[in-house]
Amino acid sequence: MFLDAIQTIWKDSGFAALTLQQLIMLSIACILIYLAIVKKFEPLLLLPIAFGVLLANLPLAGLMNEAPAGSSEPDGLLYYLYLGVKKGVYPSLIFLGIGAMTDFGPLIARPSGLFLGAAAQFGIAVAFIVATAMGFTPQEAASIGIIGGADGPTAIYLTTRLAPELLPAIAIAAYSYMALIPLIQPPIMRLLTTKKEREVKMEQLRDVSRLERICFPVAVTIFCVLLLPSVAPLIGMLMLGNLFKESGVVERLSETVQNALINIVTIFLGVTVGATAVAERFLKPQILMIIFLGLTAFMFSTVGGLLLGKLMCWLSGGKINPLIGSAGVSAVPMAARVSQIEGQKANPSNYLLMHAMGPNVAGVIGSAVAAGILLALFKG
Amino acid sequence: MSMLGSLVVSLFMMALVFVVLSILCAMVIILSKVLALVGNKGKQTVADNSVSMVTKLNESTKESNFSTGELKLIGTDEKTAAIIMAIVSHESKIPLSSLIFKSIKVVE
Repeated sequence: MFLDAIQTIWKDSGFAALTLQQLIMLSIACILIYLAIVKKFEPLLLLPIAFGVLLANLPLAGLMNEAPAGSSEPDGLLYYLYLGVKKGVYPSLIFLGIGAMTDFGPLIARPSGLFLGAAAQFGIAVAFIVATAMGFTPQEAASIGIIGGADGPTAIYLTTRLAPELLPAIAIAAYSYMALIPLIQPPIMRLLTTKKEREVKMEQLRDVSRLERICFPVAVTIFCVLLLPSVAPLIGMLMLGNLFKESGVVERLSETVQNALINIVTIFLGVTVGATAVAERFLKPQILMIIFLGLTAFMFSTVGGLLLGKLMCWLSGGKINPLIGSAGVSAVPMAARVSQIEGQKANPSNYLLMHAMGPNVAGVIGSAVAAGILLALFKG
Repeated sequence: MSMLGSLVVSLFMMALVFVVLSILCAMVIILSKVLALVGNKGKQTVADNSVSMVTKLNESTKESNFSTGELKLIGTDEKTAAIIMAIVSHESKIPLSSLIFKSIKVVE
């Protein structure tokens, strides 16, 4: 009798249903957990993503399952939470929090940073061309290319609309490469700039008035959303968050979106994006291609920003340090910090952080605009 | 999609990103200038109204709240020097009129 009971328990358990593919996915989840905890690769997102991968690949748990029509059984827990990704709610809410944490002052003080933010979208274009040449559909190529925007929420937002089947690979690639920015960017920065250029000290930025800071999000929202209505959820939320911060009259709301809201949404977003990485969808050769293309996109975005930085350096008679160009890839504030570190290595009295923050936040706007254009072009 | 097609799409996307951000750049510059103009006008009005008050204040504070002697500024501007002098006075609790600054130099 006991033997029968043990046999039944074994047959009903997940152990009996575990496949080799699921075992591989569980190993990948454990590696990602290791990278998040030990190597601190974007742990705020990578840890929930990794645990989502783990949960989704445990057989019979059914956390992402949709109950059959007419069934009294509820859907899986993560299925409900995933609706926020599917409907584009979470990326927009994350942008609300980012807006409340972003200081657009350096960009307002030196608006030419917007050009660097535009140039650093070059990687999206390059990755799009290479991806289509490798046989991806234009929708898939656009979703892969957006990794070069170095903006996780934008990448997730665009991919859920154009190529949802690629979401886990693109989200993991985007966040992993963002964490690897301090390794990816410096060799390219040193290769494309001379020591003399890296040593350039930039003039102190002017003070930006409170009125300018308040008018900026309103003006950007009106212009961008009128021109590209598809970016309304991203730009609208980004600028609303920033208005909360700069207005100074809704401190409670500003604090909530900067802390509680963004943290809650990050948990839901991370776990559910990870949970889409089920073995049968994830273990395909094209995933390796996406990882390669994502790296290509990141590298060419850095190249684009640096080359325009060099041009601006030359045009300004050596007043602009081209290193701030690489900060045009979004990844706030990591990319700006890399510019600061490289600038200081060349000249210890060089402080580029605030100068690099302008192109850095311009990159956020630039990648959202690029996503809006791709969405307008390829949404069926 | 053909190679040429993807190239055209990429060029179009990059061009449009540049156009949008260039317009934004122009918009920020114009906005800053307009707001600076409005701000200056407001300041001018306030300044006109308070001229008499400042004159009265100057009379009452004459030669009592200022550091005396010649001050040499090396690599620093007057505004920064004034801030440094005020901080030294505040931290040391010695009135500015009792302090003599000989030079303020930027140390790199």
